[in-house]
Amino acid sequence: MADHGTSAATHGGGGGHTSVKTYINVAIVLAIITAVEVATLYIPGIPNWLLVSSLLIMSAGKFYLVVGFFMHLKYDHQIMRALFVGPLLIAVIIILAVMALFSAFLLLPRPH
Amino acid sequence: MADHAATHAVHDPNIGNTGLDHRKMGMWAFLGSDCMFFGSLIGTYLAYKGKSISGPSPHDVFDIPLTSYSAALLLASSLTMVLALAALQDNRVKVAARWLLATAAMGLHFVLNQVYEFWSFVHHYDLTLSTSLFGSSFFVLTGFHGAHVTGGVLWLLILVGLAWRGQLDRRDYTKVEIAGLYWHFVDIVWIAIFTIIYLIP
Repeated sequence: MADHGTSAATHGGGGGHTSVKTYINVAIVLAIITAVEVATLYIPGIPNWLLVSSLLIMSAGKFYLVVGFFMHLKYDHQIMRALFVGPLLIAVIIILAVMALFSAFLLLPRPH
Repeated sequence: MADHAATHAVHDPNIGNTGLDHRKMGMWAFLGSDCMFFGSLIGTYLAYKGKSISGPSPHDVFDIPLTSYSAALLLASSLTMVLALAALQDNRVKVAARWLLATAAMGLHFVLNQVYEFWSFVHHYDLTLSTSLFGSSFFVLTGFHGAHVTGGVLWLLILVGLAWRGQLDRRDYTKVEIAGLYWHFVDIVWIAIFTIIYLIP
């Protein structure tokens, strides 16, 4: 019965590849990045472009760590990866397209 | 390859022709579609940002320390979720149930923080769904995320109940893994919302 579980987990496409130590290390890195993100907000005189781009990069890093290690997508079958990464790219394109349509800007100053 | 898949299909009805668990594939497909759903809501929020003609602006009302605490709660709950999965893989069902309960508790705490935040916006700043473009896009986006978290909490509590009744063991690894995928997804959506909505000025 237990073997059946292991088999299902393996053929289900992942799960048993990451150790508890790795999970804890990833969680520590996530906590540090979050603390740095919030601290960045309070740096006096930081240029807007630098603040926004650094926040987006840190956020993307956290996103990758959770998806790759906690959701095991890094070790999962490529079909699973395609099922998630494909729509994710479409979502990013949707955001950029809607912003472009409405002349909304994240990194650039808004026209007055 | 086809024979290999067929062999598994005979042994386990959850393994499809691809040799992969179709429940897990279904969850990844759902999460992909949910990415586009939240992408649309985030895009709408950004498109309307700074274009409200009435009501308070985002940075008049946001409580960054509270939201940072909520973000930390969800990140910590992702850790407890994978620890539950690791414990279940070792067939330590009671330990797994405790980690699942801790995950649900942190999720519930997150939801209560959000309820307090919404209450505060309505009562202190008169910001409602119909006040302004900011109010509409903010409450719809974060409200849908909160609803996802609430659904996840209920799902986790059902798993805890099954574990306590002895109806969950190592054979149910994939069931818990799928719940975990959903839970981590609400975490990554919050990672995006926290940065794009709350932190970026």
